[in-house]
Amino acid sequence: MGKTVLTVDDSASIRQMVAFTLNSAGYRVVEAVDGQDGLDKAKAGTVDLVLTDQNMPRMDGLTLIKSLRALPQYKAAPILVLTTEASDGMKQQGKAAGATGWLVKPFDPPKLLEVVKKVLG
Amino acid sequence: MSELAVTALATNHYYDRNFSTEAIKILPGEYFVTQSDMLLVTVLGSCVSACIRDPATGVGGLNHFMLPDAGQETGAVSTSARYGTHAMELLINQLIKLGARRSHLEAKVFGGGNVLAGLTVTDVGARNSAFVMDFLATERIRVHAKDLVGRYPRKIYYFPATGKVLVKKLKSMHNSTIVERERSYRDRIQSEPVSGEVELFI
Repeated sequence: MGKTVLTVDDSASIRQMVAFTLNSAGYRVVEAVDGQDGLDKAKAGTVDLVLTDQNMPRMDGLTLIKSLRALPQYKAAPILVLTTEASDGMKQQGKAAGATGWLVKPFDPPKLLEVVKKVLG
Repeated sequence: MSELAVTALATNHYYDRNFSTEAIKILPGEYFVTQSDMLLVTVLGSCVSACIRDPATGVGGLNHFMLPDAGQETGAVSTSARYGTHAMELLINQLIKLGARRSHLEAKVFGGGNVLAGLTVTDVGARNSAFVMDFLATERIRVHAKDLVGRYPRKIYYFPATGKVLVKKLKSMHNSTIVERERSYRDRIQSEPVSGEVELFI
């Protein structure tokens, strides 16, 4: 059974590219357009992995991670950040918020699949 | 290196005497966003520029890029699609950081001239033009004006505070600076991997 990945990004182009990459490897993909939408969709159904952007309208990625970590079903779920933010300061904030890993855009499809496979165990 | 070295914020400031204003020149592979009433200038051969702003706040900026030649590779996640998407996303993220709202964004797009004719088999300019129009349609960013493809290079003067753009078609190329600059940019993006770094905290 394929696992479900929630991809959260305000860019439709990025969501399409991420979904295409994950679908081709057999994952089921749910899309969300910002942090708030991501939180709503994560609450509505169980997802195995969350892959989120940082800079988004309404709710950013770090706030989404903190909100998810406060929910029992997402306390230990893998959450990856996929962002243009490459500074160590931002990465540390991500780690402190509870992110499992930090991927700097542009993403490389084989590398993304490798990381997803690894964190899904 | 954590970010693509071939896509960077422009740093080439000067005072433009013709327009009596602070100005910045954006070179291939660069982008710039401002909240100030200033002038952004760029010269496009086969490269394209998206001039994007939020009319409610006056925050605006432009990028200047081309797609790397992906060879036989095609599809939704090809190297060239990922590079172009990244060039657009860096511009849009910077706009949002400086106070623009994504839903307010409006664009004017320029460039994509067939000026590298003879140097490449495919019409690189037409390919760059098609990409930028597709990207903006996917992102639902309105295109208010465009001047794409054709034979000539263009000089673009963008006033982000008002959204005004002046386009000068460069019909006589007395020197080959434009072509040389684009070729060296193309060589750089051709050799740079389109891939950011990964760090796991576990």
